[in-house]
Amino acid sequence: MRDEEYYKSIGFMCGLELHQRLAVAKKLFCNCPTNIIPEAKERELSIERQQRAIAGELGTVDISSGFEAQKGRSFIYKIAEGRSCLVEIDEEPPHSINEEALLTSLSFAKALNMKIVDEIQPMRKGVVDGSDPSAFQRTSMIAFDGYTEVNGKRVELPSIFLEEESCRLDSASGRKVVYSVDMLGVPLVEIDTWPYIRSPKEAKEVAMKIGTMMRISGKVQRGIGSIRQDVNVSIKGGSRVEIKGMQELESMDLFIDNEITRQQELLKIRDELVKRNAKVGNHVKLTQIFNGTKAKIVLNGISKGGEVYGFRLSGFNGLLGREILPNRRLGTEISEYAKSAGIGGIIHSDENLEGYGFSDAEIDKIKNELGADKEDSFIMMVGEKEIIATAIEFAMLRAKYAISGVPPETRGAVNDGTCSTRFLRPLPGGSRMYPETDVKPIQVREDMILSASDSAPDLAKEEKALMLLLNDSGLVKRMISSPKLGVFKKLSEKSKDPVFIANMLLQKFVELRRAGFEVELISLQRMDELFHAYDNGELTKQAVEEVLKRLSEKDQSVSGIIKKEGLGRIKGAELKELVEKYKSKEKSKAELIKEIMSKHRLNIDGAELNGMVSL
Amino acid sequence: MYSKEISKLLSEKGIGVGDLIKVEYDNVSIEGELMPKTETGSPDTIIVKLKSGYNIGISFENVRLTKIASSGGEVKFPAAKLTQNGNLPKVSLLFTGGTIGSKVDYKTGGVHPLIKPEELFYDVPELSKIARIEVKNPFSIFSEDMSHKEWAMLAEEVAKELDNGARGVVIAMGTDTMHYASAALSFMLENLNSPVVITGAQRSSDRGSSDAFMNLTCAVQIAAKSDIAEVGICMHSSSSDDNCHFLRGTKARKMHSTRRDAFRPINCTPIAKISHDGSIEYTSQYKKIGNGKIKVRKGYEDKVALIKIYPGSDPKVIDLYLNQGYKGIIIEGTGLGHAPLSPANAGNSWEGHIEKAVKGGVIIGMTSQTIYGRVNPNVYSTARKIAALGVIYCEDMMPETALVKLGWLLGNHDKETAEKLLNKNLVGEISQRNELNEFLV
Repeated sequence: MRDEEYYKSIGFMCGLELHQRLAVAKKLFCNCPTNIIPEAKERELSIERQQRAIAGELGTVDISSGFEAQKGRSFIYKIAEGRSCLVEIDEEPPHSINEEALLTSLSFAKALNMKIVDEIQPMRKGVVDGSDPSAFQRTSMIAFDGYTEVNGKRVELPSIFLEEESCRLDSASGRKVVYSVDMLGVPLVEIDTWPYIRSPKEAKEVAMKIGTMMRISGKVQRGIGSIRQDVNVSIKGGSRVEIKGMQELESMDLFIDNEITRQQELLKIRDELVKRNAKVGNHVKLTQIFNGTKAKIVLNGISKGGEVYGFRLSGFNGLLGREILPNRRLGTEISEYAKSAGIGGIIHSDENLEGYGFSDAEIDKIKNELGADKEDSFIMMVGEKEIIATAIEFAMLRAKYAISGVPPETRGAVNDGTCSTRFLRPLPGGSRMYPETDVKPIQVREDMILSASDSAPDLAKEEKALMLLLNDSGLVKRMISSPKLGVFKKLSEKSKDPVFIANMLLQKFVELRRAGFEVELISLQRMDELFHAYDNGELTKQAVEEVLKRLSEKDQSVSGIIKKEGLGRIKGAELKELVEKYKSKEKSKAELIKEIMSKHRLNIDGAELNGMVSL
Repeated sequence: MYSKEISKLLSEKGIGVGDLIKVEYDNVSIEGELMPKTETGSPDTIIVKLKSGYNIGISFENVRLTKIASSGGEVKFPAAKLTQNGNLPKVSLLFTGGTIGSKVDYKTGGVHPLIKPEELFYDVPELSKIARIEVKNPFSIFSEDMSHKEWAMLAEEVAKELDNGARGVVIAMGTDTMHYASAALSFMLENLNSPVVITGAQRSSDRGSSDAFMNLTCAVQIAAKSDIAEVGICMHSSSSDDNCHFLRGTKARKMHSTRRDAFRPINCTPIAKISHDGSIEYTSQYKKIGNGKIKVRKGYEDKVALIKIYPGSDPKVIDLYLNQGYKGIIIEGTGLGHAPLSPANAGNSWEGHIEKAVKGGVIIGMTSQTIYGRVNPNVYSTARKIAALGVIYCEDMMPETALVKLGWLLGNHDKETAEKLLNKNLVGEISQRNELNEFLV
């Protein structure tokens, strides 16, 4: 059982970086729109760019920048009409900062008890994976030194940043990476914690709490990708690893636990390798061995003009195939480094080589060329001449790390339910930040701070107000983190039955959506008409659902639907008349109710009928 | 600059820019490096670079400052190896400032001129595979500050480099007035027998996406390999990093304030297209390398002006120039080369003023503010009248080129010759014919 004591004992360090897109009208440094629906296709233009690693402020090329640049990739940017201008594609300097976004982020800073800087200094943060055509992201620290409380424990928040969203990755194959520019520049707030989070569970709770706080502001975008929670994890003897791209906050703790296990297993392998005095050999060209080979993977590669290279791993025997997480081996980790150079994969000696179609003679020749004997393993790969040198270099780099421990990396969440991660790139160093000289520093005025204080989302206050309306802590909890909160607040303003509205929004909407009704399309005005009619006793609860179905099909007036579909409620004297009509001596009360309901289910309120029949 | 008050306190405490300091106020305590103040920020705010790399500004009021450690000193760039292959052609690279010739200080954001060649090779190492590069830095200024004096210096410098065995010369400069400079050098370098390539950057070279890298390599390719014996501009052909264009120096113009493909050929097509992998495709006629020795003719009359006609424009501006002793005026007329001759407000007719200036000895040339196309004094009576006053219609020459040409003609020839040559083609500045594909290229 892993409890807080356990995490303390393994030297668990964990910090969060929460990124949330803001729902403001315009992008951070230009006048392009932010409400982008990627699925809606627009006419597109495209440009192709090269980027290179630039010596940073210390005169050195940052390791992660160099890693990306070495790959020698070109980037294709798709530019959809109406979504991006010259600013995003680095053809025009930025305009002034979006004040609406700035005020929103300041209000979050206030909600998190932060100290706001007096003059904001926009910075350029180097990005060399191509996700920004300018090769940097604009980012500003707007406040620092805050905190929030989770389960009565204080979690320190060192900083909040206002920055630009990056491009969306469209596709990547070989050396061409395609990005969509549309999201680039959408204002994004980043909130960090110190790495002192005590357990994976606490990490999840902190993320939830801050996420909810931002959502109740009504100023944040919803939907996949609009909020991203990156986690930094390390254990004693291991290294800091950043996990990006978790789609479900729900499983954050599982991702963290798996990362702990991965680091622990890698450290065990390290200990074994050190004991064996393991070493990584030099790379050797092996193409000549495979004249007339039957191994398809090699045959295909060579026939396209590719080369085969390999290297020896002294003392690695059996370790490449050792599982460090279900379906993840040291071999997988090395393979991912090689793949990041654009190669298909690697072949290693802990695999079933006969299965690839290699003959015994070929395997002997490989071992001979590489000088590998029984205690050793080897890795080889086949690929285009231009790529393979880089791929083999990356694979060797990772193999060497196995002897020293856990490489510091940025890893991507694998969202297939296994909660594991894969290598994305080395962890960026800290030498990539310098002032954005095209934007003036921004003085934070007194009126901005006042406005931020006034509009700071107050979770406790919001919960209290909802409790007054709903009187059910479970319902309150669900409502407060629901995207429907804003709609609920508007609809419940004049309502006699907010609980009914809450249940409809939280449950019925989900059911109807799953059944194929596009209830998200129903306007606030129609919903207001609907619940007003319900409040006035014109509709039964059952009929409300029917009206919603009709509204999801076509925008029309609620009174029209009631009339056309005969959905009006039968009540009072009219109901009494109906009861009289159905009444007979042979029928029990229960039978009577059943018969009437079966014929007028949508028009009659069961409780009213019950009361009337029971009289 | 920091305010006097802050500067005084800093000096009292012995704190300098780059020092590690502690800033305290209320219950806040921040550690970081003191950054210099840029001209745009408030002088009463202290800028601190935090360990995370972020800069923040803290109001000076009520803060306590403590020095923790002195600055680590100036950051030195590691010298990239300058491997020069003796078998490659020699290309001289003249850096004169501008975006391409600057380096951003990654700590402060300050922009400094790039003078050490090793800094350049650090970012564009492939240059040394194309040519043996010799870097010179005759001066460092913004292109908007350039005048005929700098053009003349450059002409001398180019001739010197070519005489000393350079196969070609690349000039890196600011882009704003690059097309004036390219026109000036086209006229000043007589009997040019080598490629002279002017290049620059629209995006600073501190960013991995800068256009400087490809512009430079393509420019060096032209200088090292092409058989073009002309002055031209080599910049991005499109927004993509795929090709550069080599454009005739007298027929190229900056047509966009920010885009990397801002330079376009005017009334012609590009001379060549240079791919980012180095291949050169020649796309129109050009003067080829042959025999002959370069001669610098750098005289320049700076009493020349460029005037733009607009609705309601006041012709008295011509009198002002006349009274100031100007020798030449290029008019950017409307359409085919027009100026108001019979406006409702008779005082705004240009006729008498032009006539007076011409009689006063001023050479007046007419170009068009449409940029594209040719002026023609025969179609409308307005132009017929203007031409009859003695105004020289400059064919399809760009207004900027016409200005530079007139200054150069007056600086090297007598008035009659200058007058005669203004609308005669000398170095490709005037085309005899314009084809369909020469518009908005």
